[in-house]
Amino acid sequence: MKHFTKSIRFIVDTPIIVTDQVMYAIECHRLGRQFDTLVAVADLDLAIPAGAIFGFLGPNGAGKTTTVRMLCALIAPSSGSARVAGYDVQSQAAHVRATVGILTETPGLYDSLTALENLIFFGRLYGLTADRAAERAAHYLRLFELWERRNDPVGGFSKGMRQKLAIARALLHDPTIVFLDEPTAGLDPAAARAVRHVIKTLRADGRTIFLTTHNLAEADELCDLIGVFRTRLISLDTPTNLRARLFGQSARIVLAGPAAPLVPLVQQLPFVSEVVAEERALLVRLTDPERNNPTLVRALVATGADICYLEPFTPSLEAVYLELLHDESAVAA
Amino acid sequence: MNWERIIVLIGKEWLELRRSRGLLLSMLLPPLLLPIFSLGLIFAMGLVSDPDTADIPAAAIDPALADLGLEALAQVIFGRQFATLFLLLPMVIPNVLASYSIVGEKNRRTLEPLLAAPISVGELLLGKVLAAIIPGIALTWLCALLFAVGMVVVVVDPVVPALVLHQGWIVMLLLASPLLALISVSLTVMISSRVNDPRSAQQIAGVLVVPVMLLFFGQILGLFVLNSLVALTFSAGLLLLAAILLWLATRLFQRETILTRWR
Repeated sequence: MKHFTKSIRFIVDTPIIVTDQVMYAIECHRLGRQFDTLVAVADLDLAIPAGAIFGFLGPNGAGKTTTVRMLCALIAPSSGSARVAGYDVQSQAAHVRATVGILTETPGLYDSLTALENLIFFGRLYGLTADRAAERAAHYLRLFELWERRNDPVGGFSKGMRQKLAIARALLHDPTIVFLDEPTAGLDPAAARAVRHVIKTLRADGRTIFLTTHNLAEADELCDLIGVFRTRLISLDTPTNLRARLFGQSARIVLAGPAAPLVPLVQQLPFVSEVVAEERALLVRLTDPERNNPTLVRALVATGADICYLEPFTPSLEAVYLELLHDESAVAA
Repeated sequence: MNWERIIVLIGKEWLELRRSRGLLLSMLLPPLLLPIFSLGLIFAMGLVSDPDTADIPAAAIDPALADLGLEALAQVIFGRQFATLFLLLPMVIPNVLASYSIVGEKNRRTLEPLLAAPISVGELLLGKVLAAIIPGIALTWLCALLFAVGMVVVVVDPVVPALVLHQGWIVMLLLASPLLALISVSLTVMISSRVNDPRSAQQIAGVLVVPVMLLFFGQILGLFVLNSLVALTFSAGLLLLAAILLWLATRLFQRETILTRWR
């Protein structure tokens, strides 16, 4: 993998950068793909550090699958370049395919084959010996609690079981980079939680995860970096920074009485950039909550407001995502 | 070319075949029935003495048949026609297998994970082609052998088997059968890029019976005798056709084309 000396600081819960030496698992430079006259992906610049979980978000038809296919060396880019695990996706396509693991949109398993046969077949295709493939298959079947069903044809498996088996297939050859397309789509909550747990385990093992999902709560829970994408990359940052960039830092003040009459007073305070009144609460965007909150509380109490409590307000990733897409549409229009 | 991966792929194809009873039946039934019916009818021909048999054009153009009795003559003429029908097997069996293998993978959406693996499209295509062709040719030869052994039992004159199972037929079996199988699979690969139902692929590939039917009717109408020269010429034509179709199939069977253009 290529090393870069670049000053980038990601504020994430699990530090993925120890020094200014960044190791990128995936890099794209002006990557693009056109199908006849349709531009599916344009000018994609990405640098995903090794060991990170990258959430690739975007509406249906945004070009996410095309991007994943280019990065997995399944289709060639029309323009630009990309390196995955240090290999060029065009000139070293076979190396890329051997290095990455991919969970495609549909599990794509052979129904008449058993779970064990499916995994051993793919393990052998990835160059594992028969014994090693069987050993790895057994490991993942146990990990995903499918061991008891290892000799059953996959045709009789539930959607969750199939999905877990497809993830196991993606991991069988011990890839350093794993592409997961909607890994929890259609799963019941327990199965989805199990899959999320596996994804966290993969990060703990130091693998890079490229996660495509429409489940924004899941992206919020798992991802170190989020890319919002619609043909072009609209935004790339940590979930925390995305929130801060779009919504600033906000406080929610819950009151004993109606909130609306207090809005003019709060708006006059110099550090307040925006106030939204709910029935009995105020959402206040501040420049520096730690310094501004005491002044804000004093000002409200001085007017006779009864404050029940004050809490930091964190907008959902969904709100951030919709805001970003809305802004991009407005710019495009 | 990594032969280990190709063998793994062939193993998977055959394992799926073993698990699919319907497919196995449609693959095994025609080759099993053909020698049984053929031998039964040839045996029946030996029981009837029809003076009109000598007037059949196929009897008139081959001097080797001049001294035969009417029953033996009928057995030779019909035996040769049935022997020609064995050339349908290397087309029908691989066509059924390849259509289920390729269109089936397309329908079940198992092609993308397969294409994402570090297997070249050449290896993938070769694996699919061999997995379809090998059983087709093996069954054809096995059934032809059963037919040959059965002939010895059902004929009325010991010279009949040698006249039916002549050099031309053996050349066709050994040379033309693999080529017909290759043509059948190449055409199936091409059709698979456009259809979503294995049966549609099989029906369209049905045009392949035309060359064999030309042989069948050409012989019965007395246009030619299927000797070694005719068999070699026919095989040479098939070789050319196989090369063209295989080249076209290879062009369509590309990773990117399969993922973005196949419907």
